[in-house]
Amino acid sequence: MSHFLDRLTYFSNPRESFSGDHGVTTGEDRTWEDAYRNRWAHDKIVRSTHGVNCTGSCSWKIYVKGGIVTWETQQTDYPRTRWDMPNHEPRGCSRGASYSWYLYSANRVKYPLVRGRLLKSWREARLTQDPVDAWAAIVGNDATRRDYQQRRGLGGFVRSSWDEVNEIIAAANVYTIKKYGPDRVIGFSPIPAMSMVSYAAGSRYLSLIGGVCMSFYDWYCDLPPSSPQVWGEQTDVPESADWFNSGFIIAWGSNVPQTRTPDAHFFTEVRYKGTKTVAITPDYSEVAKLADIWMHPKQGTDAAVAMAMGHVILKEFYFPDSGKPRSAYFDDYVRRYTDMPMLVMLKEHQLPNGETVMVPDRYVRASDFNGKLGQANNPEWKTVAFDESGKVVLPTGAIGFRWGPDGRADQGQWNLEAKEARHGNAVKLGLSVLEGDNPSNETAKVGFPYFGGIVSPHFANNASGDGAADVLVRTVPVRRIALGKEGEKREALVATVFDLQVANYGVARGLPGEMAASSFDDDTPYTPAWQERITGTPRAQLISVARQFADNADKTQGRSMVIIGAAMNHWYHSDMNYRGVINMLMMCGCIGQSGGGWAHYVGQEKLRPQTGWTALAFALDWIRPPRQMNSTSFFYAHTDQWRYEKLGVEEVISPLADKAQYGGSMIDYNVRAERMGWLPSAPQLQTNPLQVVRDAQAAGADPKDYTVKALKDGTLKMSCTDPDHPDNWPRNLFVWRSNLLGSSGKGHEYFLKHLLGTSNGVQGKDLGSDDAKPAEVRWHEHAPEGKLDLLVTLDFRMSTTCLYSDIVLPTATWYEKNDLNTSDMHPFIHPLSTAVDPAWQSRSDWEIYKGFARKFSEVCVGHLGVERELVLTPLMHDSPAELAQPFGVSDWKRGECELIPGKTAPNIQVVERDYPNVYKRFTALGPLMGKAGNGGKGIGWNTQTEVRQLGELNGLVTAEGATCGMAKIESDIDAAEVVLMLAPETNGHVAVKAWQALGKQTGLDHTHLALHREDEKIRFRDIQAQPRKIISSPTWSGIESETVSYNAGYTNVHEMIPWRTLTGRQQFYMDHPWMIAFGEGFSSYRPPVDLKTTAGMAGIKPNGNPEIALNFITPHQKWGIHSTYTDNLMMLTLSRGGPCVWLSEDDAKRAGIVDNDWIELFNLNGAIAARAVVSQRVNPGMVMMYHAQEKIVNTPGSEITGARGGIHNSVTRIVLKPTHMIGGYAQLSYGFNYYGTIGTNRDEFVVVRKMNKVDWLDTPATTEPALDAQQA
Amino acid sequence: MAPFTRTVSASRSLRVLAALLGYPGAEMRQHLGAMRALLHEERALGGERLAELDALIDTLQRGDPLETEAAYVQLFDRGRATSLHLFEHVHGDSRDRGPAMIDLAQTYEKSGLYLAPGELPDYLPAVLEFVSTQPPREAREFLGETAHIINAIFNALQQRQSAYASVLGALLELAGEKAQAVKIAPDDPLDESWVEPAVFGGCSTQGQASPGQPQPIRIVRQPIPAQGAST
Repeated sequence: MSHFLDRLTYFSNPRESFSGDHGVTTGEDRTWEDAYRNRWAHDKIVRSTHGVNCTGSCSWKIYVKGGIVTWETQQTDYPRTRWDMPNHEPRGCSRGASYSWYLYSANRVKYPLVRGRLLKSWREARLTQDPVDAWAAIVGNDATRRDYQQRRGLGGFVRSSWDEVNEIIAAANVYTIKKYGPDRVIGFSPIPAMSMVSYAAGSRYLSLIGGVCMSFYDWYCDLPPSSPQVWGEQTDVPESADWFNSGFIIAWGSNVPQTRTPDAHFFTEVRYKGTKTVAITPDYSEVAKLADIWMHPKQGTDAAVAMAMGHVILKEFYFPDSGKPRSAYFDDYVRRYTDMPMLVMLKEHQLPNGETVMVPDRYVRASDFNGKLGQANNPEWKTVAFDESGKVVLPTGAIGFRWGPDGRADQGQWNLEAKEARHGNAVKLGLSVLEGDNPSNETAKVGFPYFGGIVSPHFANNASGDGAADVLVRTVPVRRIALGKEGEKREALVATVFDLQVANYGVARGLPGEMAASSFDDDTPYTPAWQERITGTPRAQLISVARQFADNADKTQGRSMVIIGAAMNHWYHSDMNYRGVINMLMMCGCIGQSGGGWAHYVGQEKLRPQTGWTALAFALDWIRPPRQMNSTSFFYAHTDQWRYEKLGVEEVISPLADKAQYGGSMIDYNVRAERMGWLPSAPQLQTNPLQVVRDAQAAGADPKDYTVKALKDGTLKMSCTDPDHPDNWPRNLFVWRSNLLGSSGKGHEYFLKHLLGTSNGVQGKDLGSDDAKPAEVRWHEHAPEGKLDLLVTLDFRMSTTCLYSDIVLPTATWYEKNDLNTSDMHPFIHPLSTAVDPAWQSRSDWEIYKGFARKFSEVCVGHLGVERELVLTPLMHDSPAELAQPFGVSDWKRGECELIPGKTAPNIQVVERDYPNVYKRFTALGPLMGKAGNGGKGIGWNTQTEVRQLGELNGLVTAEGATCGMAKIESDIDAAEVVLMLAPETNGHVAVKAWQALGKQTGLDHTHLALHREDEKIRFRDIQAQPRKIISSPTWSGIESETVSYNAGYTNVHEMIPWRTLTGRQQFYMDHPWMIAFGEGFSSYRPPVDLKTTAGMAGIKPNGNPEIALNFITPHQKWGIHSTYTDNLMMLTLSRGGPCVWLSEDDAKRAGIVDNDWIELFNLNGAIAARAVVSQRVNPGMVMMYHAQEKIVNTPGSEITGARGGIHNSVTRIVLKPTHMIGGYAQLSYGFNYYGTIGTNRDEFVVVRKMNKVDWLDTPATTEPALDAQQA
Repeated sequence: MAPFTRTVSASRSLRVLAALLGYPGAEMRQHLGAMRALLHEERALGGERLAELDALIDTLQRGDPLETEAAYVQLFDRGRATSLHLFEHVHGDSRDRGPAMIDLAQTYEKSGLYLAPGELPDYLPAVLEFVSTQPPREAREFLGETAHIINAIFNALQQRQSAYASVLGALLELAGEKAQAVKIAPDDPLDESWVEPAVFGGCSTQGQASPGQPQPIRIVRQPIPAQGAST
């Protein structure tokens, strides 16, 4: 309304001043201000955040009025950084700012929903039967079961009540446990750090009933297996503030401003200090615009760039020409902190041309020597080196020193002090046998596998120079040493890792008759000239960047950093990309130095109070061990992707490996790995584990002995040998905090076909029994469709996963629940808080699972009581079991060794589950914390004080029964307090205890890292007031301090704590037989693998438009809520408003595509319909489809499948890599989300074609289960 | 509307219409007969409307219960076009939605009605329930204010050939509006709406006559940098 007439035009108001004329009182009308007052009115501001799987972890202010969220703004109260560093804030991006929409969105799930057909059967059955029998009747009848399974994804939901859905779910769980076993109940939820109590709600329920928690980091292919391989560390990285301490940053395949938006300011700010930044991305990405130099190798060939840069670094800083000295800093660093001085045995190998060469074999161990170098404890797990005089020495720190009984002679020698273990004298290890008073004058011709010559239809190779053959033969200085005890004396030819590594890189060092590159311009592996043909990167640019990178590190003692991302990690041979880069960083002494190091930011998340959380999350307070499974192997088997495997083992094996010994197919390796206890299994045994214990009792045998015997004689089978047998199917699946089918289900169409049994777009035929190669797995002529009886999803929006679920439950949003949130990008812990009550009928995850637990405890009565069952666990990393087979690989099934649980096979434990008390146990802190203590990463401590204090804080259970007198965990805040109380990161007393425990292993005192904060206890209300900086803990390899920013490996370098590897040092070399057999003892360049999914697809259903094959790349975007949601209309408005695919102008022209055309991408795995974005940004040869564009928004039908055009995962299928299955071998041992197979997907090719007809499929389906088009 | 026309009370009809838009679960379906009777009793609606509503009630009564519920979920629990939350149609995903909801809740509170937990203030059945408690003239005016939204939902339902359109039609009648099937403008043809406008009229930069033409070279004299210290 106009206030024109309210104003006086010809008169002025009386004026009255105050505060010495600084203020003036006027009588003007000010009602116009009310508009603003109302606009920004609020009753309260609540601190929360967005718990999606984004590592931003930004604290937000949520403004609430009258119980309604009105808007949100970024919090700006993070504790300050040091005076000379920029602050963290503002943190928060446009995606977060558009979030409040989700609360009141039309797409929100508002009520518990059940697919109508299932509910109808349920209600009918329920009229006459108890819940468990009702469920048995439904799934026992194949017609009823298929009736609702085939409707998955095709609508038909009706509202139900919490009471009813809880009963269905509890009944299904009880029935499944009773009939098949608890390990058929599966749960998938990713990235707990972002809302750890919500994660813990589900995993606690599952762990109490014996269900299986699925891994995510490896499955997402965010886990870089190279990190466990090199460091024995899942992933540990610098916080983003540490970028500001760097002198030279390479952003390699990581699009910082786009995917790490709240952190990107540090990347910009550091340039004001003079830091140079380099971007290495194939496309002209956002980060390329931000950097000083843009390098753009062809996608998938980064390892070649890294190898050539490593070549430059080795040459110029270790073997410089013209009399310049070697970098003293680098020399000292690699000697002390890497395996470079360690000795490797060489063995003879005959090449096909008849020539005999030596090849690197395993590390020399103390046990090889006469008297085992005086080591009674684990001599097989202690590596050796030469000292300066050329004598063999036993340095402290190898993994053999880590484990053993208390009071052993070598206790306290697991450290990196440069000392000889036998007498404690200082020792300087020799890098090369050419060093010191007594240099060796012997050299050997050593063969290294070479993959750069492999001919591929899509990637350029280089078979020139030495690379003409698949084995590089190079000159290596060696020495002969005597091994074995008296009478068994033998000689061995050994070389140091350093000498081997220099030869592998082809670096000339002036040896007589040396086979190495004569200059950088020599076109032989791995020179800058050599990589040009493969990567297209100009050698001058590469040399310049490598030189500057190393020069900066030399001058600043390691302040060169590589920020590395998914573009490097999502390839089948990602380990080579990564190890090439890690080698550069190790050779330049950057790891563990502030401002330097390896900054892997790929879904890495960091659950800072981890050891406090695991107790709650996996119900370790009640039952140990929990069941955990690596998702990649699980989904490979149970979505039957293995049946379509086209990558042969012979394609990825080393040319130096014995092909007869390494045959079979990928799933065979996985079966062997499960059998030998390397990888976990789920389900575990074909027989119900409850039944196994009963059978053992009936036979009067100990269940463990009984199982060993039955496994050996074959009466008991492991489920992995027959994943298609109905007894081995996963039956119930919970999905929460995840969009498994919409964003992270690689091989999406196989999920739909085999796991869900509904309409799908799979185009290829499976291998068929004739050419099916698996030797260890039983082949069924007809693959099962619809293994899952029940799929339950908890979400607050109707995602693709919800659409395919049988039951959809409305969960609280991130402003409607209490939870904890941490990240590795900053050192703070802060909460999610209930700003408003959950809208409609939604409930927090904690309340939902509590509801399941309560109902479960009711309906199980009469079906399940206190039961004993058998849990198999793999040989776990950070436990003594990681010292399983030191030499070679022996498989009990093949009669190569005895079946010893926990050594040559999975650990077998009998556990007791009190099913009627599941609810009581869920809501109280169980007795094991007090009795067995707490711990993680190989150390343990007493936690009785904390248990008592939790009781005081949360109150004690007063109700009579199994939990009377125990600390309560009733609410989500109670649960958060459990985490905060038990974790060293949030409880100073625990931190000191943890450092003391580690000190027992290292023989050093580390408590000074936490003593100054010993009395600090961070509570939930504290972090609601302000984000709190966590306390340093041995769970992590960096420290929280007022003098350095958090950086990974810091305590290894500065506190002399060994890396958790075989040698205790960072490893350039991997000596496990499978690593060597698959060609990855040393790093190299390996081209992308040929998945053969476009072969035979061209022209199969022509529409008259040209078809071209392009590499399919799926980076992260800036228009979706991280990697999970791309249905935010505000974000979509800023992009193309629906699924789109980027391609280059050249390719577009070739295929007759112009910008914004509808195009289809298809291959044997399925099809995608999307819009084309034609851009100069993209390199020819690839298409980019941003991750997680769902089929619920603007997706028409596919001309190929006849079904709705799929999601980005519709054209992918996972392929396993045997090296990721290795277990029981120091750092190469299983840990949940630590090691295991990964879901790589960037080697994939698709046929790209313009669409003729855009069919929105918006008329009702005419056929009953619309399967007709699928089977064509 | 002429201001002095006596307005008939439609209070009970509004309650019935609110209930009809509710979830057709078992409990609601039990009361369908009573609802029908009430509508006919109060006669706030014309015969044609009543017939339409009878047809809807018949559908709800006779249909397979779960299919009826599934149809409701499909229609009202997902998607924007037929959402029963009024501000979805006005404010959508924008931040204005929060203040608008607060405003509405305060309107209720001024009348002594406090929204119970479990629904948002702009949920049409809640709005109708509120309106039903108001004196006839205020009720009619309030409905009139929301008529354009109701009309949009009405049309979206008509387009889907849903019997529920009759409820919205009845509401429009009670608001004194004509329930006309306003033709919903189809979304802009996607291709056209996403065509990027030509920058510089399609020329690569200033100076080019038209696309495809050679670009004239322009020679610009560089300013001579100032020598020496400046003030």
